[in-house]
Amino acid sequence: MHIPDGLLDFKTWGTLYGVSGGTTAYALYKVRNTLDEKKIPLLGITAAFIFAAQLLNFPVAAGVSGHFLGAMLACVLLGPWAGFLVMVVVLAIQCLIFADGGFAALGANIFNMALIAGPVCYFMFAASKSLMNKRLSERTSLLTSLAFFSWLSVVLAGAACAVELSISNVVKLSSGAIFGPIVGVNAIIGIGEAVITTIVVAVVLQARPDLVYSYSGHDVKLPLSEEAV
Amino acid sequence: MRHDFIDRYSRLESPVHALDPRAKAIALFAVIIACVTTPANVWWPYAIYAALVLIIANASRLPFSYLLTRMLVVAPFVLVVAVCVPFMHGAGPTYDLGVFSVTQGGLLVLWNVAAKALISVSCLILLSSTTEFADLMHGFERLHVPQFFTTVAAFMYRYIFIIIDEAERMKRARDSRNFRGRWLWHIKVIGHMVASLFLRSQERAERVYQAMSARGFDGSFPRWKETHMHAPDWAFMGIITATALAGRLVVLWK
Repeated sequence: MHIPDGLLDFKTWGTLYGVSGGTTAYALYKVRNTLDEKKIPLLGITAAFIFAAQLLNFPVAAGVSGHFLGAMLACVLLGPWAGFLVMVVVLAIQCLIFADGGFAALGANIFNMALIAGPVCYFMFAASKSLMNKRLSERTSLLTSLAFFSWLSVVLAGAACAVELSISNVVKLSSGAIFGPIVGVNAIIGIGEAVITTIVVAVVLQARPDLVYSYSGHDVKLPLSEEAV
Repeated sequence: MRHDFIDRYSRLESPVHALDPRAKAIALFAVIIACVTTPANVWWPYAIYAALVLIIANASRLPFSYLLTRMLVVAPFVLVVAVCVPFMHGAGPTYDLGVFSVTQGGLLVLWNVAAKALISVSCLILLSSTTEFADLMHGFERLHVPQFFTTVAAFMYRYIFIIIDEAERMKRARDSRNFRGRWLWHIKVIGHMVASLFLRSQERAERVYQAMSARGFDGSFPRWKETHMHAPDWAFMGIITATALAGRLVVLWK
């Protein structure tokens, strides 16, 4: 899903550089207010984790495989804006050092895979979680909402990519011919994303609930060692 | 694992390696932007960009086989576009190739995507293979990229190998226990792997943070060598940027 250079026209990638740059500045401002500058090592190592997790391919069907995106996971664990910034760093390094995704298309890739799949889906997730929390336990509502919205994050990122390709009209295909395959494949890859994200957060909730940003933990007792401190 | 697999050749000695990271970054980004915005129906600006890339690659003493292998990263996209060519509704004469036919417009799209993707990707490879990661990040810092990003990226670079090694060890352990993930329902195993990878990496991060705080880390890295823009740096940046922009502007003018 990393768009290389040459597939987008100037108005598309130029606009998306503006949007992504503006959002990055806002996220930086938000994070600086809430996060201790000294916590930067944590974010860096989380970025390395997302990067390594993306190298684990999972099978979709015999022969075809997808890889993990991790934007929703980063947002749920670190908060929407810190998660967004971690994804920005991951995408920028993939572009500059690994040549994965073009330099001109970097703004578009950040828009799709960090903004749409990150904060945009995160805020929908947070709304759904608090709605469900009125009836269900926080753990259940968090995991159920997360499963759906992490699936949606991959589908929406794919759809955004398809919209950009058809607006650019560099590849002279009808919108249907672009949308069908991209959204179809991403709807399947999204299942993998949803399963992995949900399992990871479920395990982390069990082992270290304090590491999950969007979990307030009203209905759970902290492990004994932490209560004793 | 070989720990220098990203910027493996960044410690070679050549005129290009010796340049200031800022000069290289600006010059190569200028070539990318000029190339990506050039219309497809003129071929000679692409020849200029390709010549610039070849001259820099030659001067950098990087093995060409290495450059070519790294450039394969865009091959899947170019292949997908190539497969789509018969379905494109382009202008111009139609060539009949037996079972399917292609239009000139469709071939122009393929040429456009392939040329832009290859030139852009080789610029990025040249930048990252002739500059050490720390120098590149410091260069970006001097170009007013917020220190937040360069520091996060530096930590990411430092720990990525350790975490990938960790992931590889888990993969080996999994495979030696006869895991043959072929279908989507095998994914639960991968979910648990990612979860324990995350917990291990967070616990490592906490230890690292404590160790760094104990040694007086204040959010920035001390540098032991300072980079300066000398005459060759200005010359390189000026000549490459001017040639690329000239190639772009003459098309605009016509």
